[in-house]
Parts: sequence; C-alpha cells; structure tokens
Amino acid sequence: MNLAFGNPALLWGLAAAAIPIAIHLFFRRRPRPTPFPAIDFVLRARRETQRRLRLRKLLLFAARTLLLAAIATAIARPRAEGDRGAAPIAIGPRATAIVLDASGSMRYRLDGSPLFDRARADALEALAALTPEEPATAVVCAPGTPQVEAPGFDRAAVRRVLEAAAPAAGFADLTTCVQAAARALSSSKAQEGLGKRLVVATDLAASAWRLETAAPTVESARGPVRPEVAILDAARGAALPNHAVVGLEAEPDPSAGPRGYRFTATVVNHGAQPVSDLPLSLVVGAGPGEKDAKVAIRAFAEVPAGGAVKKALLHAFPRGGPAAVQVTLPPDGLPQDDARALALDVPRDVRALVVDGAPSPVKYRDEAYFVEAALSSAASPVRPKLVDAEAFPREDLSQFDVVFLLNVRSVAAKGPELARFVENGGGLFVSLGDQVDAERYGHELGAVLPMALHVEKSADQRGAGAAAGAGAGAPGAGGAARFAEVDWSHPALSVFSGEAREGLLGARTSRYVLARPAPRGAEGAAPRVLIAFDDGAPALVEGRRGKGRVLLFTSTADRDWTDWPIRTSFLPAMQRFAAYLTGGLEERRERATVVDVRRTLRLDEGETLAALVGPDGRERRLPELGRTGLQTEGPGAVSWVPPDPGLWQVKVALRGEERVEPRLDFAVWPDARESDTRRLEPSELTAWFGGEGHARVEGESRTAGSRALPLWTILLVLGVAAFFLEGFLLA
Amino acid sequence: MPDTTRRPLLDPAVIARLATLKLRVRAITEGILTGLHKSPHHGASVEFAEHKEYAPGDEIRHIDWKAYGKFDKYYVKKFEQETNLRAYLVVDASGSMGYRGDPARMTKLEYASALAASLAYLLVRQQDAAGLVLVQGDVRQAIPPRAAANHLRLIVDALETRQAEGPTRLSSAVDWIIEHAPRRASVLLFSDLFDAEDRVLKKLAQLGRRKHEVTLFHVLDPAELEFPFDDPTLFLSMEDGRQVEAHGRDVRKGYLELMTRWREEVRRAAAEADLDYALCRTDAPLEDVLLPFLARRNRSAA
Repeated sequence: MNLAFGNPALLWGLAAAAIPIAIHLFFRRRPRPTPFPAIDFVLRARRETQRRLRLRKLLLFAARTLLLAAIATAIARPRAEGDRGAAPIAIGPRATAIVLDASGSMRYRLDGSPLFDRARADALEALAALTPEEPATAVVCAPGTPQVEAPGFDRAAVRRVLEAAAPAAGFADLTTCVQAAARALSSSKAQEGLGKRLVVATDLAASAWRLETAAPTVESARGPVRPEVAILDAARGAALPNHAVVGLEAEPDPSAGPRGYRFTATVVNHGAQPVSDLPLSLVVGAGPGEKDAKVAIRAFAEVPAGGAVKKALLHAFPRGGPAAVQVTLPPDGLPQDDARALALDVPRDVRALVVDGAPSPVKYRDEAYFVEAALSSAASPVRPKLVDAEAFPREDLSQFDVVFLLNVRSVAAKGPELARFVENGGGLFVSLGDQVDAERYGHELGAVLPMALHVEKSADQRGAGAAAGAGAGAPGAGGAARFAEVDWSHPALSVFSGEAREGLLGARTSRYVLARPAPRGAEGAAPRVLIAFDDGAPALVEGRRGKGRVLLFTSTADRDWTDWPIRTSFLPAMQRFAAYLTGGLEERRERATVVDVRRTLRLDEGETLAALVGPDGRERRLPELGRTGLQTEGPGAVSWVPPDPGLWQVKVALRGEERVEPRLDFAVWPDARESDTRRLEPSELTAWFGGEGHARVEGESRTAGSRALPLWTILLVLGVAAFFLEGFLLA
Repeated sequence: MPDTTRRPLLDPAVIARLATLKLRVRAITEGILTGLHKSPHHGASVEFAEHKEYAPGDEIRHIDWKAYGKFDKYYVKKFEQETNLRAYLVVDASGSMGYRGDPARMTKLEYASALAASLAYLLVRQQDAAGLVLVQGDVRQAIPPRAAANHLRLIVDALETRQAEGPTRLSSAVDWIIEHAPRRASVLLFSDLFDAEDRVLKKLAQLGRRKHEVTLFHVLDPAELEFPFDDPTLFLSMEDGRQVEAHGRDVRKGYLELMTRWREEVRRAAAEADLDYALCRTDAPLEDVLLPFLARRNRSAA
C-alpha cells in the first residue's frame, strides 16, 4: 500500500498536533492558591476520582491531539494506493519502451491544458525514474506506421524524441504502437536477460485500442512472455465528454431556390449527459483569410448521450462558382472536431440562346415553348434568351454559354461562328423538325454535328397503321418509337433513377431523323449515343468538338414528332443538358478527405503549385511541402498529406503571377474515430495486457490492480469523532 | 483593638425584629422566671439561684438555715434576677471559621459571632443568663452566664476581638461545659463542625444526656456548600499546613457528594442525639436563622 498526498506541501499542518503537548508542558495554567477549610473533602474527592480523572485526562489529551492531527493530515488529501495484484517488480534492471500517445484525441484540453502535455510530462518522468542500467526507447504513437528503435542507453536521445513530439490531428492505433514497442524490446539479443517493461502515456480513449487482437508479448529466454506494463492516464480518471460534427453532405436542392443546396450535418455526443439546444451554424465563405465569411444559418440540435443526430440546413448561394462552407459547433474540450468544412462548385448562371426555328402565335405549338419553359423554371440556373431563326445571325455568341437550335432551317453565315463557338468551349443543343434539311445541315453544321443526318423515319414506316383521321406526323400509338437504350451513367441523365426513369422511357416518338456516324478518320472524338430508340436508331447523341460539347436530338423539341416535352423528364433533362453542355455537371473537385490521407491536386495547363494555405492561414511553400511529403503524380498533378483538418487553399503560379485558385480549394476532415473520447475502463486494459499481475494503470483511476483509497474522508470522520469525544469527556 | 472592618455584632434590623418575640426555653431549666419560665425545681425561690459556703463578709440574712440543718454547715444563698435560663454560647473560633468565600460576605466566625451576640442580647433582655465559650483548639475564653445588661458587653467584646485561628476541637468546649454547668442549661453551639475528631457529635450528645438543651448552629459558607471552583486550584488548609492541588471541575462532583452525605450524617446524628440542628449559610440573613429558632423555642415552651 502506497501513501500519496494530493497536497503534500500542507503536511506542515501536522505540527499542530503538538499543540496539546506544548500547552500541557509549557502553558498549563498554574493552580491558584486558595485557603479552603473543607480541604478534607477535597482530598477525599480527589482520591476517589483520581484514577478515573487520569484516564479521562489521557483520553482528552489523545482526542485533542487526534483532532488536530486528523484535520491537518486530511487537508493534505492523503490517499492509499494499493498495488494489490500490481505488476510484479522485476528483479534487476528492465528494458523500457515508452509509448507516447500523439493521436488527435490527445489535443483534448482538460483544465486548460492539452492531455498531450500531461502525457509527455508523465513519459519524461518515467524516463527520469529509470536507473542507469535500464535501457530505454520511445515510440511517438502518431498516424502512420510507428518507427521504433531498440532500447539504448542514450537517455538524452530518448528525451529529445519525447520533447520534440507533438500531437497530430489524425487517428493513431495504440495497439499497433505497443506491439511495435514490444518488438523493439525483443530486438536486442544483448538485452535478453533484462526484464521488459512498457510504459504507455495515453488518455485511454477506447477507439484507439483493438482489444480483440492478441496482447503484445516479448521474447525471453523462456519464450514469449507478457511484459510489465504501466499505463499512465493523462486524464487522471476524468471523463472526456465531447461533441463533434462527424459528417457533412451537400446536395443541390431546388426547394431552396436557385443555386440552393441541402447541407446535412451529422452531430455526435460522446458524453454521459444529453445535450440540448446545441447551437449549430452554417458559415459560408469560411476559407482561411476569408473576410466575407458569415453565418448563413443558425440552428439548434438535441443530441442524446452517446448518440447522434442529423441536421439539415438549406442555403441558396447568391451566385455560382467555387464556394466554401463550414458547419460549426461551440468549441469544447476537443475543438478540432467542432467544425467540418466543404468546398463545392455552385453552378454558375448559364446563358442560353434559344433559337426558335418555327415560332407560332399559339404557345404550345411554338417550337421553343417547351424548351424555354424548362430552361427558365424557378430553380433553373439557365437564363435563356429566345430569338427566332431570322434574328439568330445578329446575336453575338460570345455572350452565351450554350445555344439551342430548335428546328432551325439554316444557320447560314453563322455556321463558322457557331463552329468556333463550340470549339472554344461553348455548348450546342440541336433538335430537329420539319424545317431541317439533312443535306443543308451537313453543309452548314457538319463540323459540329456528332453525326450526319440521314432520312426521316416515321411510325408508319415502322409498320403500324396511322389512326384514322390523323395527319402525317401526328404522334400515334402502336408504332411510336420509345427510348430504349439509355446511358444512365451519363452526367446529363444520371439524375434519373428509380421511377423517374419511367418519365423518360415512357416518351413516344412518332418521327425522327436517322443519323449516320461520321466516317473513320473524321475529326473529333467518336460520338456517344446517350439514348437510342427501340429500333436502335440514335435519339440523343453527344459529340465533342474542341473544348465544347454538342448534343443532337434526332426528333423535335416540341410536340410535333414526340410527346417527350409533356413528359415529366423533359424539364430536368433540358436543364441538365444545358448544365452539361457548359461543363457544370463535371465533378472537377475531389471529395473531402480525412486528415493524414494523401490527396491529389490537379492543376490546369500552365499552372504550377506555389503554396498551400492551411486552415490557420499560414502558407506552406514548396520547400516545406517537400519536407512534409509532397509528391508529383504526373503532369499537372501533385499529392500531399494534409496534417490538419479544415479548408485548404491552393496558390498557383501562372505566367509569373501567383494567386489563390478557388476551384482548387479542398476540405480536410478530422478523423471521426478521434472524436470518440469515450474511455476504456482501466480494468479492461489491464486485463488485455495480462491481468493484475502484469499491468497497472496509474493516475486517479480505480482499477482492479490499483486502488486509490481517499483517506482524507476517513481522517475527517476521525477528527469529527475526536471532537465529539472531547466534548463528551469535558461534559 | 476591635477590628473596625468587621461587621457590628448586633444587627439593628435583626434586633428590631426580634424585639417582638420572647425567647422560650423548651425544657425546664434551673431557676424560676417570673411570669414566663417554668422552673424544674418546684417550690424553689425565684430569687434563689445557688448556694455558696459562708465566708466572712457575706450577709447573714442570706444564710440558708435549711441547708444548715441538713448539712450542718453554713451556706449563703446567691440570688439572680428573675431568670431560670442559663445559656452557653459556644463559638468555634478555629482557623476554619475564618473563611469567607466571597469578599462581600462575612466570615463564618463573624456570622457565628453575630448570631451568638443576637441571641445573647435576647437572653439578657429576658433576664436570662448568657455566657460565652470561645474555642480555639481548647477553650480560650469563657464568660460565665449572667443576666446583667453589662454582661452582654463582655460577651460582645470577647467575640469582636477574637481572630479565627487554631484547630477545631469542640470536645474541649463540651468538657468545659460539663465541668462548669452543673445545672441544666441551654448550649448553643456555633461551629462549622470541621473537627478533627470524627465523633464530635457523640461528644456533644453527652451534654444532652446531662439534660442540657443543645442547639447546633452549623455555620457554613456557600462556597463550601457549592464548591464554585472551575480552574486548577491549590487548596490550602486553614488550620494546618496541608495543601492539595486539584482541578475544581474534576473534583466538584465528588466533593459535593461527600459534602451532602456528611451534612446528612450530621443532621441524623444530631437528631439521634436529640440535638437541635440548624444549617446556617453565611449569605443568609441572620433572622432567617434566629426566627425559626425562636419560633421553635416558643412552641416548645408553650
């Protein structure tokens, strides 16, 4: 049983126990001489009570001394730490491996200081307590594979390793670290005869341990044995409640309006008490150095003890382009997981020029009616401008992102400009109709069309008789073509899933134009058939020309040849086509990664990486990045392991100028495993290491192998008892 | 020189109150008092008090011829004023009687002297004879009983000049009275009874067997009765060199038990010996002692 004191400096108070003795010896009141006639009675009374009085005086003296001693000792907060079943003290020197937990949870601040500082102090103290005959080594258990050297006698080197250590943000597997430490203890043949000891300075976070695996052993002359283990609890038995944002997803949500998104945050509570009214904020523009960051939404969450909740936040961005958002909680003991960032590309407004090849005063008979209605719906980012075919030549195509040619007879002199428009990245959607002449299109738009047009085909020609009284070209039942083969993986069509696909597959087309693939050797990439009719004829074909894209729909965009415009799939399809043709559907951004995971950055042609700006606002230039693992992955691609969670910005150099490129911003998330600060029961850990005979947990935790008995309460009870005893004796 | 700090022995207030009472004698005393006392000697002359052998110079008319016929010797009658009560006021003036528990109080000797002087006055006023026996180890002074008014002053002077000293030995007073009081008398003893002799009361009982009427005024200070000592005290004997150190708080209970038990024994022994007993606290007014005593006297005389 060891006796320890919480306030050893206050033990000087024990001197107070000598007060009764001092009073008795030096300050006792001298008796007052008093003549008294009945002295015989006094004599007899004293004689009769002498023995009882002597005993009473002794007890009084003892009670007073005990009272003072008990109070003085209790103030020093003594505790008895029994080492019943503790790890046996090995006879002779021991080789020691000190494992210092440097995982993200060790950044937890308890009583104003990080747990890591306490753990490091404990580790250094354990190192200092070794005798000169005991070799030692240190393992800093950080994310990644631990590197451990065999124990040596260079104590200063081990101290330097511990002093230079810093807690990482990521996950560290302590089981792996102690196993590596055990292997290091076994690695030196010269130390075979020494005892083996592991010292682990950690916060006992359960997520860091894999207790289902075998406990580490060390090699000895008798074979594998369990080492002696001392676990230094940095938290001193205290619980570590923590709340964290462990998930953040963003999806476009038209219900939030144009450029609207639904952000879904997952909040966990790793504490013993439920949390109510936990404030949750969505901060927009949350990059390092962002001056325009503002709280867009404030919400409150109720999170049960040990549970999680999902909270949805809707937000519409005022404009398109790269955006950074962050969901934040009030900081607690572990602030690194109280925020989670996201970088995304908000679709810009798409400027669309819709050329109506067959205008009509009757709305629903107008060639462009359905397309314009689809593109200009409330949630659509497309801003269409409608012109008729005659006004088209006067339009400046550089003012638009995409052009919709709807049953236009001829583009005439606009053809070359249209071709250049597409070559330079513009988008082109072409739908056909009765105004279109295949041969003329071949002359005027052959450079951009993905396929050459051939002949028209109708339902009649497919073998079904026209309904009586129906005019040629009217959509009919029976012989109407259906969309049969659909490339659902295409970004323009991937939005259709489940029952929504029926809105596309149910469309009936009575007439369409057959398209011929371009001959071999033709310029441009091979066309891609996105939708084919049930007879195999292409319905929707994609082509690439230069930087731009072209979509060819081989039927009409109104109800002349097909009923697709009145199907539910038409509106989203047109909007997706517009976005795809302008590049808005491409996922140019990689998803957020977890801290300490290698991430690749892809730069545009001509760009070079100049620096990375961390969440703390500090620039990491190339030399520092090179020292910390920056690797070249190929032309225009580099990879690096971000050490800290948050939003990182990329500074690129282009033609001698450096600038932060928002499209390259990326978010790094904290590892959710480190947010789980629930602690192991010390008895679980000691049991895993081999039981009370091999392991003990030091600190103020109660374990089967180490029992701390607070004596001060017992002393106070004794003091109170002595006080009442004194009163009883005096009475 | 009389101690001017001492209280006057005759408290005028007490005397004023006692002036309305008559002192009565419980039993028949020797001598006959005119109108108030019963004489135990039937047919005796009220004037005649005692015989004395004739000496030249005595008056011939006072020769008792009957006694001559009886004894063939000449005896002269001695005459008293009309009284048959002869009282001996025995005052214990030992060292212990000099104690006062509070500076504002009388010592026990002063108190006893005041009581004795008051009673002497009453007796003399009633033409009873009062005498004084002062005891300090042995009888230091004795004033035979007289009924004369100027005799009272002798008693008072003797009491006033006496300082408390010496051991307590009341048996010497008993012996003296037995020797010097041939006839029945009233013996009024004023003492704290802290006598070295355990059987002092049995000694006093001898007086009762000789037909003396003994009244025991047990004079004690309230400090002796209540023991108000809380601190460590070195108690010093007032009659010898003994001393004992004790913590007042520690011995109080035992002391009080012993004191109470002793007083009960005294009371019982006094009753067994047919001695009249009165406890006199020195903080109690004198009349609280005298009036009950006198009332008892009146009842027994009636």
